[in-house]
Amino acid sequence: MRQEQRAGRRAAKPVLILHVLGTVLAIGQAFAAATVLAAAFEGASLPIIALAVFGGLALVRAGLSYLTEQAAFASGAAARRRLRSDAMTRLLHAGPSLLRTHHSGDLATIVVDRIEALEGLFSHYVPAAAYAVAGPIVVLLAVLYADPWAALLLLGCGMVVPVGMAVAGIGAAAASRRQFLALARLQARFLDRVRGIATIVLYGRAQDEARAMARAAKDLRVRTMRVLRVAFLSSAVLDIAAALAMIVLAIHYFSDLRVASDAAFSAELWPALAVLLLAPEFFAPLRTYSAAYQDKLHATGAAESLIDLPPLPQPVVPAAEIRTVAARGVTVLFDGVDLIWDPTRGPALDGLSFKAAAGETLVLAGPSGAGKSSVIEILLGFVRPTGGKVTINGADITDLVPQALSRLTAWIGQRPVLFAGSIRDNILFARPEATAEEVAAAAHSARLDQFTEGLPQGLDTPIGESGYGLSGGQAQRVAIARAYLKNAPLLLLDEPTAHLDPATEKEVLESLARLAIGRTVILASHSSAAHGFGGRRLDMRDGKAVSARDAAKGAA
Amino acid sequence: MGPLSRILLLWTPQFLWLAAGVILSLAALEAGVALMAMSGYAIGAAVAGVLTLPVLLRAFGVSRVLLRYLERVTTHTATFRALADVRVWFFKSLARTGAGGLGFRQAGDVLSRLVGDVEALDGIYLRMVLPLAGAVMLLPAIVLLIAHRSAALATEIGVLFAVAAFVLPWVAMRASVRTGSGLAAEAGALRVAALDALTGLREVRAFAAEGRMLANVQAKEAGLFAAQQAMSGRTALAAAGAFLCAQLAVLAVLVDSGAHPAAAVAAAFLVLAAFEAISGLPRAGALAGHASAAARRVLEAADAPVPVPDPADPAAMPLGCGLRFEAVQFRWSADRPPVFDGLTLEVPEGARVALLGPSGAGKSTLAALALKVVAPRSGQILLGGTDIAFLPAALVRARIGWLGQATHLFDDTIRANLLLARPEADEVSLWAALDAARIGDLVRGLPDQLETWVGEGGTRFSGGQGRRLALARALLSPAPILILDEPCAGLDAETERSFLETLNETAAGRTVVLITHRLTGVERLDRIFRLSGGKAVAAAG
Repeated sequence: MRQEQRAGRRAAKPVLILHVLGTVLAIGQAFAAATVLAAAFEGASLPIIALAVFGGLALVRAGLSYLTEQAAFASGAAARRRLRSDAMTRLLHAGPSLLRTHHSGDLATIVVDRIEALEGLFSHYVPAAAYAVAGPIVVLLAVLYADPWAALLLLGCGMVVPVGMAVAGIGAAAASRRQFLALARLQARFLDRVRGIATIVLYGRAQDEARAMARAAKDLRVRTMRVLRVAFLSSAVLDIAAALAMIVLAIHYFSDLRVASDAAFSAELWPALAVLLLAPEFFAPLRTYSAAYQDKLHATGAAESLIDLPPLPQPVVPAAEIRTVAARGVTVLFDGVDLIWDPTRGPALDGLSFKAAAGETLVLAGPSGAGKSSVIEILLGFVRPTGGKVTINGADITDLVPQALSRLTAWIGQRPVLFAGSIRDNILFARPEATAEEVAAAAHSARLDQFTEGLPQGLDTPIGESGYGLSGGQAQRVAIARAYLKNAPLLLLDEPTAHLDPATEKEVLESLARLAIGRTVILASHSSAAHGFGGRRLDMRDGKAVSARDAAKGAA
Repeated sequence: MGPLSRILLLWTPQFLWLAAGVILSLAALEAGVALMAMSGYAIGAAVAGVLTLPVLLRAFGVSRVLLRYLERVTTHTATFRALADVRVWFFKSLARTGAGGLGFRQAGDVLSRLVGDVEALDGIYLRMVLPLAGAVMLLPAIVLLIAHRSAALATEIGVLFAVAAFVLPWVAMRASVRTGSGLAAEAGALRVAALDALTGLREVRAFAAEGRMLANVQAKEAGLFAAQQAMSGRTALAAAGAFLCAQLAVLAVLVDSGAHPAAAVAAAFLVLAAFEAISGLPRAGALAGHASAAARRVLEAADAPVPVPDPADPAAMPLGCGLRFEAVQFRWSADRPPVFDGLTLEVPEGARVALLGPSGAGKSTLAALALKVVAPRSGQILLGGTDIAFLPAALVRARIGWLGQATHLFDDTIRANLLLARPEADEVSLWAALDAARIGDLVRGLPDQLETWVGEGGTRFSGGQGRRLALARALLSPAPILILDEPCAGLDAETERSFLETLNETAAGRTVVLITHRLTGVERLDRIFRLSGGKAVAAAG
């Protein structure tokens, strides 16, 4: 967070420069206006040049204010872009194991909403904080030129602001923090209750909850206002300083000019006008800052969730870039492999050893929890074995860079995730550079075309968030088409028919059997239909391979 | 402004606070503007010899500071009160209309977005109503004050002020309404891209698509930024326009200064202060466009029709607790295929029944029908022999305990979460329910025991522990019928088995409907039905 703010300060420099430039021009305008007004008092003719300067600078300042807004937006956008890419990279790198502990919707909220909430911090707060120091100094220099005494007074009043806030004890900062926290808590409770509204309604407790909500809001208001009543005193310090400066300056010039001789009047008129016109400019940056403080609080809440993100990936040095694959296919060897997800629950794999030769189909059988999926997840690189060794064509799987492993494997799980886009896009996901003919061939091989031909838009039919509109069997056929298109030598099937009714299961298994030809296949399934798939059978129980006889005994 | 004015109507009970806030804010503004104008007038007064000036200055200065303080306290109190009112109103409306239609279908993100919309209404009073009231008051005031000297000048400044305070904010509001939907679409696309990549983390890793997914998110983000930039550019133009109006007004005063220099100085300061007070309005206009769209969505959700209205003349509650579906037909909407097409199913009192079927076969819909969250198009659902269409929903739900996938653990203590099911439950029954759900020992081992905070959505507990807490709550409810909708979703196999074994013992004596896509073999069941083609088929046990 602090590091980000430093980067943000660099990015906000153009905004700050534009702000300060605006203040310089405002000084020019104040001098010009003072000249015009002074001339009016003297009865001189209208100073056209000063008027023109005032008007010209007004135009430039208007343009400048537009540019400042644009620069502020750019600075905020740059920060959000950097943070979002960073968060997304971390999440993608942490990979599938994240889904065991987090809901994907919550992760998406971090990437989308929490980072959007940082907008105001980088576009408004960061430049305003610097401007609150630089702006008044620039104005002070101008006042010093017009009337050194007034500069001293303004400086005094300016210093009163931070000192006064500190003396008042809590400070404007604490005031808005309390108020913001109270609101945030109210908001969190409300969101929580609304998300759980089905639960509340079905337990018949909606009226009680509404009453409780009103009561909580009231408590919160009473407590918060008690704090705010004190805390607003310190916000009043800025008001007092600004009012005091104006009053003292006005009375000072009023008394001076009232008793001044004609000559002295002429000499003192211009500085008096200029200083009075400049005084509001002196306090303007402080006001901007205190307005932007809300943005900072809003962002601080959002940033807290970013801190918990997984670490950034270290650049992978391919230690021994695998001598990829022999043309003949892939041999998989498990040698005494252990895997522990959670130490309190015992191992998922416990000294598992087996070999799947090139072109062989190996069916992992056994009850749920026997460790079948863990075997597949190790081979996909979702998780590293805790002990033992897994080799693919003799190379240790932990030495493989993810891309190399991905080239070797095709995977079909229980329920494929389909992305927003057309059916074609979803097949192309397997290999984006594939030609239209290749996609059509893959769809045909997966028997997906039987279904898409009936659709008006065919393969280009859009499917929405998480494959809305496709049945389980159709979605699984898209996954098979992906595997055909990828054409990888090692095919990993993890309960591919678990969610299908028996008729669809049979059809999908037929398609899978065709896909299996010429590949090394590892199929995890407890479905009896899958065991008609052919191939060698490996019975598993409690993370170990067991003989078929033991397995039968265990099941009995 | 239609939807916004309806939201304002909701605040009627807080009228006094809101009005007091407006009056104090106007008075503070008046004192501030007067202080500035008087400071300017100081020089003129020195010439004219007005001796009361220092007194006036001090009076305005002191009242400015005091009134600002009172304004802050009052407007914040008013805001807090209005916020609470809108939330309670929205919650009640949603409970009445949505019954959880939305919550039941796991549309958690839709609900979150609605809550965001409610949040967008918070700024209406402080950031729109107050500055607008200030502008309405200032316009006649400055015109009258300046017209005293020169009618032409007053007209010029009045027009400029009206443009800056009303026309430009209105333009900004129109622009924000117009671009608002585009902005929402771009934000939606970014959300879909992020959700796609994160839901599909397994696919992404298996196909080594990390780079592509990141690029996709970045592309959607660029689209969103472009739309935001267009919007911010328009707002900035409106703000720059308002600034130019202010400068033109000062220029007009300067050009006219020759005739009455002393008045001109006061007028210049008056104009500067008045325009300064309304400089935020173009931005408030853009915000109003946003808030108005949010208000429309909030009202749509709150005004949605009641899905299953209660009968005007309810039948007496039956004594029995058997559930029977007779020739039930149902579809979620006219353009979707029917979920049930002549479903007939009997769950006798005290029986344990499993409903099997692939996802999309309507297993959860069945629970929604029994709980009167939705009503069948034709056919009947009988509870103890009485059609539930003739029974009040609240009483039907009191008979049926539900543990669904959307069952929510609230960000509260374990005790508060359990008491939701039976507010009068005593300590002993709470622990009995926890023990029955096989989580009692874990809770006993926690330092705060029943007072342990469960975290947002139960995040302080693992998925399996959270499901057990929810089961404990369902078991605590006095309902004689339990509908358990995929109770083991997200549990690992071991936890699943122990969970189901627990269920065999603890739900004894109640009617249990277990909805699942497969059986593990440890369940003790009386009947098994398979859902297929919109009908229930008895399957072999």
